Amino acid sequence: MVRTRIIYKHIAIFLVFAILIVVPMTFTVVNQVNKMISEEESTHPPDNADYAKAHREFSDKLLEKVVPFVFYILLLALMLSIFFSRSMLISLKGLRRGSQLLKDGNLDIRLPVVSGDELGDVTKAFNEMAAALREKTRELSRKDTYVNAMVDPLWVVDRENRIVDINPAFCRMFGYGRDEVLGASVYDFFDEGNAEVIRRQIEEKRDKGIASIYEISILSRDGVQTPVLISGSPIFDGDRIAGKIGIFKDFREQKELRNELRRAKEYVETIMDSIEDQIYVIDKDYKIIRANKIAVMSAGGDVIGQPCHAVAHHSNRPCWAEGQECPAQTVFITGKNYRTTHQHMGPGGEKRFHEIVASPIKDASGNVLHVIELIRDVTDRMRHEEEIFNKNRELVALNSISGILSKSLRADEIFSKVLDRMVEMLRMDGGGIFFIDEAKKEMICHYHRGISDEFVKMMGRIRLGEDIPGKVAVTGQVVTTSDLSKDQRIERSFVKHSGMKGYCCIPVRGKERVIGVFCLFSFRTHYFTSEEENILNSVGEMTGIALENIKLYEKMRGLYEDQRKRREEEQAQILSLSTRLGSAIGLKDVMGPVLELIRNIFGADFVWLLARDGEGNFILKAASPAGGEEGKLVYANTVSSIEGYSTERRVPTLISNIGAEAKFYLASAIADSQYQSAMAVPMHMGEKAVGVYSLYYLGNREFKEEELHFLKILANILAVSIEKADFYQRAIAEKELSDTILQSVADGIITLDVNGRVISVNKAFEKMTGVSAPVAVGMPICDVFRFSEQNSDFRLALGECFEAALLGGGISRETYLTGVLGGRNAVLIGSAPVRDASGSVTGVVNLLRDISREKEIDRMKTEIIRSVSHEFRTPLSAIVGMTEMIIEGDIDDRQARRYLTTIMSEGLRLSSMVSDLLSIARIESGKEILRLVKIDVPKLLSEISRSFSSLAEKKGAIISCDAGGVSYLVGDEEQITRLLTNLIDNSLMFSDEGCRIVVTAKDAEGGVEIVVSDNGWGISAEDMAHLTERFYRGRHGQRIKGTGLGLSLCREIAKMHGGTMDIRSKPGEGTQVIVTLPRREVI
Amino acid sequence: MKKIVVIDDEPFILMMIEDKLRKAGFDVVTLRSSVDALSVIRKEKPGLIILDWMMPELSGIELCKILKHDSEMAGIPVFMLTAKGQDSDEQLGLRSGVARYITKPFSPKALLQMVEEVMGVDTP
Repeated sequence: MVRTRIIYKHIAIFLVFAILIVVPMTFTVVNQVNKMISEEESTHPPDNADYAKAHREFSDKLLEKVVPFVFYILLLALMLSIFFSRSMLISLKGLRRGSQLLKDGNLDIRLPVVSGDELGDVTKAFNEMAAALREKTRELSRKDTYVNAMVDPLWVVDRENRIVDINPAFCRMFGYGRDEVLGASVYDFFDEGNAEVIRRQIEEKRDKGIASIYEISILSRDGVQTPVLISGSPIFDGDRIAGKIGIFKDFREQKELRNELRRAKEYVETIMDSIEDQIYVIDKDYKIIRANKIAVMSAGGDVIGQPCHAVAHHSNRPCWAEGQECPAQTVFITGKNYRTTHQHMGPGGEKRFHEIVASPIKDASGNVLHVIELIRDVTDRMRHEEEIFNKNRELVALNSISGILSKSLRADEIFSKVLDRMVEMLRMDGGGIFFIDEAKKEMICHYHRGISDEFVKMMGRIRLGEDIPGKVAVTGQVVTTSDLSKDQRIERSFVKHSGMKGYCCIPVRGKERVIGVFCLFSFRTHYFTSEEENILNSVGEMTGIALENIKLYEKMRGLYEDQRKRREEEQAQILSLSTRLGSAIGLKDVMGPVLELIRNIFGADFVWLLARDGEGNFILKAASPAGGEEGKLVYANTVSSIEGYSTERRVPTLISNIGAEAKFYLASAIADSQYQSAMAVPMHMGEKAVGVYSLYYLGNREFKEEELHFLKILANILAVSIEKADFYQRAIAEKELSDTILQSVADGIITLDVNGRVISVNKAFEKMTGVSAPVAVGMPICDVFRFSEQNSDFRLALGECFEAALLGGGISRETYLTGVLGGRNAVLIGSAPVRDASGSVTGVVNLLRDISREKEIDRMKTEIIRSVSHEFRTPLSAIVGMTEMIIEGDIDDRQARRYLTTIMSEGLRLSSMVSDLLSIARIESGKEILRLVKIDVPKLLSEISRSFSSLAEKKGAIISCDAGGVSYLVGDEEQITRLLTNLIDNSLMFSDEGCRIVVTAKDAEGGVEIVVSDNGWGISAEDMAHLTERFYRGRHGQRIKGTGLGLSLCREIAKMHGGTMDIRSKPGEGTQVIVTLPRREVI
Repeated sequence: MKKIVVIDDEPFILMMIEDKLRKAGFDVVTLRSSVDALSVIRKEKPGLIILDWMMPELSGIELCKILKHDSEMAGIPVFMLTAKGQDSDEQLGLRSGVARYITKPFSPKALLQMVEEVMGVDTP
């Protein structure tokens, strides 16, 4: 405590204050006392010296006694105060010690807080301050450690750019000692260039308080420039910038690397730029991240960052078409090189071909980072190749076309071949050729490819000036379109929405005008090049000229023919007459005029024609001038005559002097007329001598070779005529017979000529089609059945049959025919050619057979098989499955018994189904014979009802019977039982549980009426119509198993008894089956 | 799961399948009608359902379609055991989501093999 200076201060202060208080107070008191004594002495002067002495000595005594006393009291007070405030002294002492420790660098101090007064607070504050100082010191020391441990050098500079601090790394990197650096200016470490950079950085950045990173070189101690990356940031002192801290990053390696990289990049760029193909490096978003000069030049601007498809082929999306997939995408997916050739649209919409080689750029782990695409514009090459190819193709086609045009004079051949070549050359899908019919002002399609006949029929006639061909014919201008359906120029056309796209129409020019048009079409878009158009034009012209040539040739030929015809006019006349004669049926009427004509032509005086009968007698057929009786015997076979002689020789025989030939007997008509010469021409049909015609002359007559030839021809014609006349007589009789047969045939028969016109139809045909014979005859067969649109298939089939028969083969087709009245039936068309004697096809006979019934039988057969196979499967399951299980030993004996019982009952079920089927088959085939007996109706009903008792009980059904006074009926008991059993079974099956079935019998008008009625599910109107059809399973058939035979069998049984079965039903209410059996007696 | 629900309106078919599968160690639930089938299947959660096609009330194919549209039961394989033996029927069946289409008459042994194949057990 004694060392506590504050105590001394206290005491000193006390002493000063004590002196200051005690001395004046003492003197004041003494003065006051003296004053009081003086006042008292003035009032009462001292009466004695003692008293006066006492007064004089009082103040001295007072001083002597009071002053020490006061002083001691004060001292005591001081001692007491020091004693009571000793805690303060402890605190103070503690604080002093603490501050001493702090000064010594010991921060781990914590002073005890002795008092709760201000000193206590000060002690607490001291403790906190010490703790904060400790923390701060630790933090600083940590930071110091970091700074010292930093690999990267740093410096701290003040506002005057003097270095105030550095870290050891600085010394290590640049070789300076710390002392050399501290206080130096930063500019001492830079050459001029770098100094300029740092000045700018400092001025621009630091002075504005902005952190900055820049690259710079620092001069090392050994004078080497060391490249560093300096990251500077300002040091703030409040709002003021006090300096800057700069951290250096050794940039020697990076710089070297960067130089390397730059060199490599420059190298790559040089290589890339020296390549004449476009090169793009593409990232995963298809964005170009690098491109060479050529690529940039061809894109016409900066391409970096743009999508590759936008730059390379001006598209707003990557390629996707099959075979044209985006190469970049392919490489990203496969990671492998990919080479392809793409067709792109150029900026002007022109077609361009690019050969693309895409390769992956991978990272160390093999992931594709980018794709490098090398794009070579091979448009010119491709175009060149294509041009060569097209030229080649066109040349070949043109060659072929000009070959056709020059070689052929047949329009048919020319046009169909030229059309083929054009389609082939332009790679179209088809086309057609229209010719102008000037008279009708319309154009007709004569040749076509790639379109159906039906289509041609529809649009094969076009009015001049209408549709595309009509307009082209009028204007003479080629029309081409790449896509017909989208071409704005073509507003209306038959073919606009027919699916055709590429389309062209070329005029075929004759010498003076357009004579027709070529049309070609493609179902794909086809761009016609100008060259193609030129070719089309020239083909049109060439064809037109060729056609003109043909016409010229035909004209010339016509002229030649005319001349020839004129020369042969006479003969032709006779020939035509003779032909008429040949085709005439009433020989009698035409023979006279024909002979007269012959007489006139050959200038004969008398002509006759003798027919030779089977025995060789010559009989008069006709004569000119007329004379004699037809059919009269002229020369018997025993007589020698000119006619007989010529017949034997088989050649026209001229007798120049009849009188000189005594060997010939002359008929009176000849002998009487004194004819001098005769020409007898024999008529033969093959080996058979038909007769002779003879020309008699009063004078002599010579015959030229030509005349002889002609005579022979006439002989042949006359022979045919005679034979034909005979044949016709016979044929009439035969035809009548065959007509009768034809008319009575049940199949429709239609005969056609080779042009497809109807020659005849029979009654069955009229009945079948509803088309009467007068309507049909003479009509083209394709038009006969046009009355219904449904007949298109039929017409097609008939057409095929007709065509096949024309080619000499007979075929048959099954199809459907809709009659005039609307009935539609399955028909079988059979065709056969009609041939003449020479074997040529002269017509076609078509036979139409109604095969509805056969079809129905077929359907039923299928149904039988289907239904039977289906219905048999369930019981077979029991038989097969259970037997297998018994054999496999899957079950014990007790179960086996149960299984065998099931097998038996299912076997019986199968057997009953088979029996049902057989019954129907038997009844149908008529083999079932009724075993008529007198049946006791009440007994029958009750027996049947009883047989159902267990089933009815199971279903909670009530079956009631009422014979209604009918005691008996005559019928086959087994069959009637089956009928009723089936009906009741149906009622039970198609009703809910608890249903009611009533079987009643009564005498009715037609016989005995048995009615089975129920209150079951009923039958829908739709099912009602098919109810008694065999195998028909109604709506409920999907749920209830059965054969679909029951009702059909019932009906057959009723029918067999001569009775009827009638069904009435309402869905939801029930069904009533009324069986009426005729009353009869047992025979 | 070794539980199998068999639905057929022919009792002897049910009996056969039940005997065969039960002997092989399966737990078999049989139903003679498809009416309660859905609730039974939902309750039993079987590993397999064997269905007849032709059943009164609800046909097997309709039932199968309902099952395949129910998220809870769609995963249960369904065998169609039917007398409908035409190709078109089989196609319709398979389209409805049937795992095996078995035509009657059938071999219980072969059926068991198929069941084991589908249930993924060699020896139950």
